[in-house]
Amino acid sequence: MRVKHLKPAILLSLCIGIGQWSISALAQNADANNLYKSSLAATCANCHGTDGKGVVDGGMPLINNLTSEQMLTQLKAFKSGAREGTIMPQLAKGYTDEQLETIANQLGKKQ
Amino acid sequence: MDRRHFIGNSAAALGLLAGFSGQAKASLQKAEILVIGGGYGGATAAKYLRLFSNNTAKVTLIEPNPTFISCPLSNLVVGGSRNLAELTSSYDKLSKRHGIKIIQDSVTSMDPEKKTVKLASGKTLRYDKAVVSPGVTLIMNSIEGLSQANKAGITLQAWKAGPETVALHNQLAAMRDGGTFAISIPEAPYRCPPGPYERACQVANYLKHHKPKSKVLILDANQDVTSKGALFKKVWAEQYPGLIEYLPKYNVTAVDAKTKTIKFEIQDDIKADVLNLLPAMSAGEIAVKTGLANSNGRWVNVNFINFESTAQKDIHVLGDSIQVAYAMPKSGHMANQHAKVAAAAIVAELSDWEINPAPVLANTCYSFVNDKEVIHVASVHQYNAAEKTFKPVPGSGGLSPAPSTLEGVYAWGWAHNIWADSLG
Repeated sequence: MRVKHLKPAILLSLCIGIGQWSISALAQNADANNLYKSSLAATCANCHGTDGKGVVDGGMPLINNLTSEQMLTQLKAFKSGAREGTIMPQLAKGYTDEQLETIANQLGKKQ
Repeated sequence: MDRRHFIGNSAAALGLLAGFSGQAKASLQKAEILVIGGGYGGATAAKYLRLFSNNTAKVTLIEPNPTFISCPLSNLVVGGSRNLAELTSSYDKLSKRHGIKIIQDSVTSMDPEKKTVKLASGKTLRYDKAVVSPGVTLIMNSIEGLSQANKAGITLQAWKAGPETVALHNQLAAMRDGGTFAISIPEAPYRCPPGPYERACQVANYLKHHKPKSKVLILDANQDVTSKGALFKKVWAEQYPGLIEYLPKYNVTAVDAKTKTIKFEIQDDIKADVLNLLPAMSAGEIAVKTGLANSNGRWVNVNFINFESTAQKDIHVLGDSIQVAYAMPKSGHMANQHAKVAAAAIVAELSDWEINPAPVLANTCYSFVNDKEVIHVASVHQYNAAEKTFKPVPGSGGLSPAPSTLEGVYAWGWAHNIWADSLG
């Protein structure tokens, strides 16, 4: 029904669609990339809040007062064992350096 | 032209092309997404489908209960140090803040061919994508006489937090000093591996202060404690000497409600005053009924890249219902993590983007050994594309060195944050 109704526009749309395809694919990749980054950072949200905004006075250390750089430094210190802790040293070791960087960029305070 | 507007136009053009070639697939904005079950998995999936789609996906959550009651921490209610209200959250924010349509009802059947679900109220809903997160079913007939004993109110399971949790505490409170509280554990896999051992601690903690001549009997069908074994055993020896008795390889086969007698595959009968018998478990009823439980008829095999059922297309299954990957626990935390991977994959698929080829899952599980001290187990699982499964990262994860009150504070911090992350 929808196709029938729009038939006169098909040819034009085809041209526009194909003409814009390469640019559109790039834009989509940027959005897909954002989705990837958000979903990776969301693995932290159970304990540190959606988008890193933890429950204030909830009992868990808040992380959203850290800049991305500070956060990455802490995550790497947990991973290397330089910083002690309860769960974080064990969890940080499960992520690649690249993943930790993405997480810090997503959740850290932008300067 | 701004990017969003630009993408919108392109998507319209692409939609037209798809329609023209007869391969129409619902776009992200048009797709009907039904989430069945509002526990840790389903609630999180509903919220993150909205977040990951910039609030454009149409999401409906179907959940029979009016409020969310957390299973994690509910052993504290059994032990009497906390009450159920402290573990209860509203679903309101999912609708008011996130624009999710919530239907308080239960799904009685699904038709994967017609892509419809039928509700108890009689309504039929259509879906393009279904997310099924129904938790577990307790297989009551795996222990002879259990169903009748439960109906008579004599044996309670309290393995889904709610009125039974409070009722079990009341049985404990009414037990004579010098009585026996017996908890039985089915062979793994079952919901919440350390849960029964944590419950034994909470019951013992109550008895220690109120009825010190009593004891807790743990009747475990498994070879040994299935989670945090060395830590729990140390706690039992140090904090509850003479109060907790652990009996491995005790597989319960029957219960006599009248005489409160438990029967085993091998060993002699045992009598107890409070019987908390946990039967074998399977995927939630709707998953089994729909033919999704294709792993031994009990659990649902999924493609771990997007949590789609291997039995039916466009049905994604999360949480305790799935056949887990190696070393993946059936926990609320894990269900929340499954939900985020599935939500991102569904948004990507409906947007015609590549699905993230390398998702990650983390798990954290705290167990209270008394009313304040806690032990944890944690793990990180990276997707292995070659083997199409999640594998724990060598060298990561681990246990607490010992119980601590600091981790007790973190455990409540975890609870408040995961409730906000799943429902807030």
